[in-house]
Amino acid sequence: MATTSLQSLHHRLLHQKHHHCHRSSTASFPIPDSSLFLKPAPGSRQKLFSSLSSSSSPSSSLTTPSPVAPSTSSAADADSPSLELLAQYLSDGDFRQADEVTRRLLIVLAGEASQKRGYIFFSEVQFIPTEELQAVDRLWLEHSGGRFGYSAQRRAWEKVRRDFTRFFIRVGWMKKLDTEVEQYNYRSFPEEFIWQLEGTPEGHLPLTNALRGTQLLCSILTHPAFENAGEAAEVPSTAGEDRASDDLNSRERPMPMGTRKLFKSDYSF
Amino acid sequence: MASLMSTPFTLSTSEHLSSVSQKQTFLHSFLPRRQQQPNAGGGRESLRVRCAAVGNGLFTQTKPEVRRIVPPPDQSWGLPRVKVVYVVLEAQYQSSLSAAVRALNADGRYASFEVVGYLVEELRDQETYATFCRDLEDTNVFIGSLIFVEELALKVKAAVEKERDRMDAVLVFPSMPEVMRLNKLGSFSMSQLGQSKSPFFQLFKRKKQSAGFAESMLKLVRTLPKVLKYLPSDKAQDARLYILSLQFWLGGSPENLQNFLKMIVGAYVPALRGTRVDYDDPVLFLDSGIWHPLAPTMYDDVKEYLNWYGTRRDAGGKLKDPNAPVIGLILQRSHIVTGDDGHYVAVIMELEARGAKVIPIFSGGLDFSGPAERYLIDPITKKPFVHAVVSLTGFALVGGPARQDHPRAIEALRKLDVPYIVALPLVFQTTEEWLNSTLGLHPIQVALQVALPELDGGMEPIVFSGRKAHALHKRVEQLCTRAIRWAELRRKTKEEKKVAITVFSFPPDKGNVGTAAYLNVFASIYSVLEDLKAEGYNVEGLPETAEALVEDVIHDKEAQFSSPNLNVAYKMSVREYQSLTPYAAALEDSWGKPPGNLNSDGENLLVYGKQYGNVFIGVQPTFGYEGDPMRLLFSKSASPHHGFAAYYSFVEKVFGADAVLHFGTHGSLEFMPGKQVGMSDACYPDSLIGNIPNIYYYAANNPSEATIAKRRSYANTISYLTPPAENAGLYKGLKQLAELISSYQSLKDTGRGPQIVSSIISTARQCNLDKDVELPEEGAELKPAERDLVVGRVYSKIMEIESRLLPCGLHVIGEPPSAMEAVATLVNIAALDRPEDGIYSLPGILADTVGRDIEDVYRGNDRGILNDVELLREITEVSRGAITAFVDRTTNKKGQVVDVAEKLGSVLGFGQTEPWVQYLSKTKFIRADREKLRTLFEFLGECLKLVVADNELGSLKQALEGKYVVPGPGGDPIRNPKVLPTGKNIHALDPQAIPTAAALQSAKVVVDRLLERQKADNGGKYPETVALVLWGTDNIKTYGESLAQVLWMLGVRPVADTFGRVNRVEPVSLEELGRPRIDVVVNCSGVFRDLFINQMNLLDSAVKLVAELDEPEEQNYVRKHALAQAAELGTTVREAATRVFSNASGSYSSNVNLAVENSSWNDEKQLQDMYLSRKSFAFDCDAPGAGMTEKRKVFEMALATADATFQNLDSSEISLTDVSHYFDSDPTNLVGSLRKDGKKPGAYIADTTTANAQVRTLAETVRLDARTKLLNPKWYEGMMSSGYEGVREIEKRLTNTVGWSATSGQVDNWVYEEANETFIKDEQMLKRLLDTNPNSFRKLVQTFLEASGRGYWDTSEENLDRLRQLYAEVEDKIEGIDR
Repeated sequence: MATTSLQSLHHRLLHQKHHHCHRSSTASFPIPDSSLFLKPAPGSRQKLFSSLSSSSSPSSSLTTPSPVAPSTSSAADADSPSLELLAQYLSDGDFRQADEVTRRLLIVLAGEASQKRGYIFFSEVQFIPTEELQAVDRLWLEHSGGRFGYSAQRRAWEKVRRDFTRFFIRVGWMKKLDTEVEQYNYRSFPEEFIWQLEGTPEGHLPLTNALRGTQLLCSILTHPAFENAGEAAEVPSTAGEDRASDDLNSRERPMPMGTRKLFKSDYSF
Repeated sequence: MASLMSTPFTLSTSEHLSSVSQKQTFLHSFLPRRQQQPNAGGGRESLRVRCAAVGNGLFTQTKPEVRRIVPPPDQSWGLPRVKVVYVVLEAQYQSSLSAAVRALNADGRYASFEVVGYLVEELRDQETYATFCRDLEDTNVFIGSLIFVEELALKVKAAVEKERDRMDAVLVFPSMPEVMRLNKLGSFSMSQLGQSKSPFFQLFKRKKQSAGFAESMLKLVRTLPKVLKYLPSDKAQDARLYILSLQFWLGGSPENLQNFLKMIVGAYVPALRGTRVDYDDPVLFLDSGIWHPLAPTMYDDVKEYLNWYGTRRDAGGKLKDPNAPVIGLILQRSHIVTGDDGHYVAVIMELEARGAKVIPIFSGGLDFSGPAERYLIDPITKKPFVHAVVSLTGFALVGGPARQDHPRAIEALRKLDVPYIVALPLVFQTTEEWLNSTLGLHPIQVALQVALPELDGGMEPIVFSGRKAHALHKRVEQLCTRAIRWAELRRKTKEEKKVAITVFSFPPDKGNVGTAAYLNVFASIYSVLEDLKAEGYNVEGLPETAEALVEDVIHDKEAQFSSPNLNVAYKMSVREYQSLTPYAAALEDSWGKPPGNLNSDGENLLVYGKQYGNVFIGVQPTFGYEGDPMRLLFSKSASPHHGFAAYYSFVEKVFGADAVLHFGTHGSLEFMPGKQVGMSDACYPDSLIGNIPNIYYYAANNPSEATIAKRRSYANTISYLTPPAENAGLYKGLKQLAELISSYQSLKDTGRGPQIVSSIISTARQCNLDKDVELPEEGAELKPAERDLVVGRVYSKIMEIESRLLPCGLHVIGEPPSAMEAVATLVNIAALDRPEDGIYSLPGILADTVGRDIEDVYRGNDRGILNDVELLREITEVSRGAITAFVDRTTNKKGQVVDVAEKLGSVLGFGQTEPWVQYLSKTKFIRADREKLRTLFEFLGECLKLVVADNELGSLKQALEGKYVVPGPGGDPIRNPKVLPTGKNIHALDPQAIPTAAALQSAKVVVDRLLERQKADNGGKYPETVALVLWGTDNIKTYGESLAQVLWMLGVRPVADTFGRVNRVEPVSLEELGRPRIDVVVNCSGVFRDLFINQMNLLDSAVKLVAELDEPEEQNYVRKHALAQAAELGTTVREAATRVFSNASGSYSSNVNLAVENSSWNDEKQLQDMYLSRKSFAFDCDAPGAGMTEKRKVFEMALATADATFQNLDSSEISLTDVSHYFDSDPTNLVGSLRKDGKKPGAYIADTTTANAQVRTLAETVRLDARTKLLNPKWYEGMMSSGYEGVREIEKRLTNTVGWSATSGQVDNWVYEEANETFIKDEQMLKRLLDTNPNSFRKLVQTFLEASGRGYWDTSEENLDRLRQLYAEVEDKIEGIDR
């Protein structure tokens, strides 16, 4: 139980698992142009495609745990984050899962320490390979007509002169309160976010948790990978910007943090 | 249910604004020349005032259901079911405990668990409490932790007690003893807690010196298990399991909690008896240490930590810089071990991203002083490793929510000697609840996590995280940038440091630049700057004199003539303003588009002031609505104007101040709209101060407003001394009277008695004493006894005036008082008995020597018994003489007190004749008790040292160098010499500590005297209702005397809990009370509301309690009125019993003061409207979370029953006409207009400034004040010697006198007439005033004209002509026409 999951985490790379999706379509999925995305980073390729025994997703922890010990169970039923998986969810229009995978993927990309901890410390963002970050972004852009993804968020962020509060409001991560003075509060995760393309503010997805402040998001947005992102992003809409999003109000956070050793499930970063 | 209920209401313009809507130029009718009416900008603002309250009226509406875990149905087979209920203070155990239970359920080995957790605050809600009680009915195990709020503790106790015997185990970790006693683990129980002699229970005894039982208990946890392990008996086994439980609990991780539950159910749940439930021993974490989210381990050695830190692969260049600022963080271990650490990580990331290194230390206990010293100070050099320390716990450094040890905390922080910030997470409210609340932070959290850390010298109570450790990103940013700025102060050199000095201007008038209570602002600034210059600060171009400095700042050098404008230091274009001020757009609602017409030339925003090198002296803009009656009425929602915002943008972003120094007491920044405590991003004080460290010189006697500055504008408040008080003395006719009385005493038996008496009577008349003393007709035949009585009464009055204390002149920072000034202060310190220290008062000792009780002498004196008056005079005189003789020995030739310690050493040494004994030997008090005298004078010697100690400049410099400023209480140095020496970071007190038993004792005396007096004036009838005012400062100085007065009128007494905190009252029986319960209408000042919301809660519950007592109406006026009001309003009695009012949250004062100071009012009705519209917000103990709710109807109905109005004077420096607050809150005329019979209520002032407490009528007090201050040469000459500021002080007294005419009508004509004699008719005086400060002189003349125009002063046409002529002349002079 506890030890198992711990072990599995340590050996994430060795631990090969079949993709085990709840959804029928996941058994085999075509990833269009996947090779294109992966080409630049042969070293990290393995990471991206190798699966990770990870913890439960927030959604699963919301409900009553399955008969097995929660840690193992969540590890078992979670999908290893990979670009294929992300592409799959995105092409299915399952933004909820795509968001989840993105978050987990970034943690994997940030390195072993981040995985052990369960979240990325802002200064670890520099270890995320440029190409892979761009690849993630490109998938989002592609499946949203350029409206989602870090680039879209970067654009929004620059427009509000890098003010995070105004950015959060702009991308719909904060909601206006009915008070005398104008005030905003964080939206609660997941129910107050919009998991679709239509009528959603630009840059709404993917989410980046503001539970630990904005420095992580800031580091992603200023990642060197995105400085010349202009060339990399051959996506509709303007290129050259990348942004991670963030947010979420931990008040309603469904997943108890537990000790990270036991419960890797908190993939918010 | 959970919906947000908001009650919008709109104030009807037609009803309430009748008098406002008239032309605003009414004032012109009595001014000879047109004066520009300051008209504030846009003019229109929303009149909508909305009160938002959460659904249940409480502070939180969260439900425990989010913390309920039910075992999955497919798992219930066969396994025994165990239900666990827990109650905790904070949510941090929730995730860990839930995880533990889920794991156990998934494991499915021994039992299936249902668990539900309650946050203690949720139990306030009746519905939730009922659910709690139901949950307990089938609970096996109850767990409680950190239950320290008495009323909730009692609720927990009541509920658990019922089920305790049935339950398998009850585990309560550090909490109030009432709850601790519920513990039950087999044979182990704590029911003996507090009584037993066993060493275990001794730990819980009160009066423990250290951090109290919680800390002792934790110590026990560390040592006891080793011992217990080997004890044989079952009892020891149970005790051992308790200790293990505590270890598991403090270990907090899901593994620990799993094992904890296994251990408990295995040992105590009957269904599992016989089953062997294996559990692991607790995984122990370091008690204290250093933690970093990236570090591979926790460290208990700072060197190891720093080594690791230096090798961080992720750290960027800024962090590698050896010169990077280092911030120490103080964390609670429980958040780390439970993994509830998101907010900590957020702060660490924010600091590191901004280039600051961190040393985050933690402790598992409640005493952080040890770890702070161990990990943050270099053991060898004794220097701190850090440049600033931020506590993220919200708790006092030593003792957490339990019993604090401030001296120990201060000792540790002194060693650290860096700025110390205490930020806090939300505990009781969700983020949304906090954002929605106009109060801001929950009052209990304010008491525990704001007020208590202040006693340690903690600054900047910034809310940085929500419940469950989620960071509030903008707050974290504010906290971290500010912490780094403080740290920078420690790193930067003096040469490069930039300091902005902000002075005030109240009311907005050139003559008022540099206002501050009893501070000579420019002389002080000058003295500070000279000192800073000598220290190496760049103060280039500082003029030669303080006068030249004033000229530089207040004159626009570019203007051709001396213009009405101040010197413009910076012109800020609108574009620049908007880019520097992110919140500029939000101000447009109230003020329109920038630049507006305040601090503006129509194109640019103007910053007034003057820069010298790296020092900028700026004039703080004012609220901006002072001259606008509409805004005065509805300024609740007003924001700062653009000019105000531009000023702070300039200071922070253009000038680039490293620190701003607010110079002297009561600016407007900290009174800008926003939450009371616990600012959010949308609160103006927080936005305005931005990230500049704020250092604030504040009058030592005003701890309450200083506390507002501390909490709302993040100020490090440094106290300054008000000028030592002197005796008012006698002058003119009063002096003559004294001489006549003296000759009467020596000649009364010679036959000249009647003649002298008739001279006394006629002189007394001339002096207008006839209103204060009953005088017989002139020439009336008087018997000798009657003559004695008349003379005695006049004498008593004269002595009252003579011995009245007043501060003469203004204080200059860094100038210690002279010996003579110290004498008057010491005489007054000596006049109070201090039984707790075994010190007897000097008057008491002297009276004893002649066989009298001093209290009898006081009473005889008050009644005018000639012998007693004379004896008291002698006692007073001899007291002064003895103390003068004592001080004389410690004084140098220049009259300054020097070298007190050494001189005292010789004075108090053996073989010397003590100077006071020497002195007394020449008087009739020669036989005074030597021992008592010696004790007293030793104490006075200590006080003298403190009075003359000069730390004001030193503390300022320390603050500017980023060092720790030692905290100290504010208040009255006479009552509480601990206020001295000044130069401390002033704090208030633990709000839950008042009223004290001593305060209640004094309160009874005053209430009895008040009721006696009112009965005498009111045909022998008790007043049914007294309308009174509660002040923050007053209650701090007296430890809640006036608060206790209200309780005593109602006939209830406060009940303290185990920790001495007062959160409950109980009724005193009518028999014991011996009179009816008096109804009250309590008007709390805005400051009182901010500081003592718990006490408002206490008062409201007292009123409701009394209204619901089953007593006859004629014995319980509260009930009588509440019944009638309930019937009329169609509400319950409880609802009708609403008597505790104040301003809406975030708003202060009735604004009557501003209207009067700015002459911007039409008639008294308008002032009364202001009062009602601003002051009718009630606090309801049944819906405390709703904050202040408008209840104007009940307010008016309650006021209409008032027979008397009442206020307290608490210190000699601040009397009725010294400040505008007293008349601002006086409802005397208002009550008259509201009463159905139109009768004017009696108006009283209690004066507790002297040992002989007095209740006088308001009229008497106004006269006394006029005689001792405005009309007293000793006072006004003292003021004049301060120059520019002195003229303003004189004008202010006259303006405030007009204020009393306006609100109470209790000012006699002769006061104005005499003032006119003194300041206008005396040509020489007139010229001095005019030359020294023409702007203030113009206001003085204008005020005379206004007093006449409004009908308060009936005088000759000749006088008025002269005033009009003068007004024209002074206008010309000001506009430079005659230059």
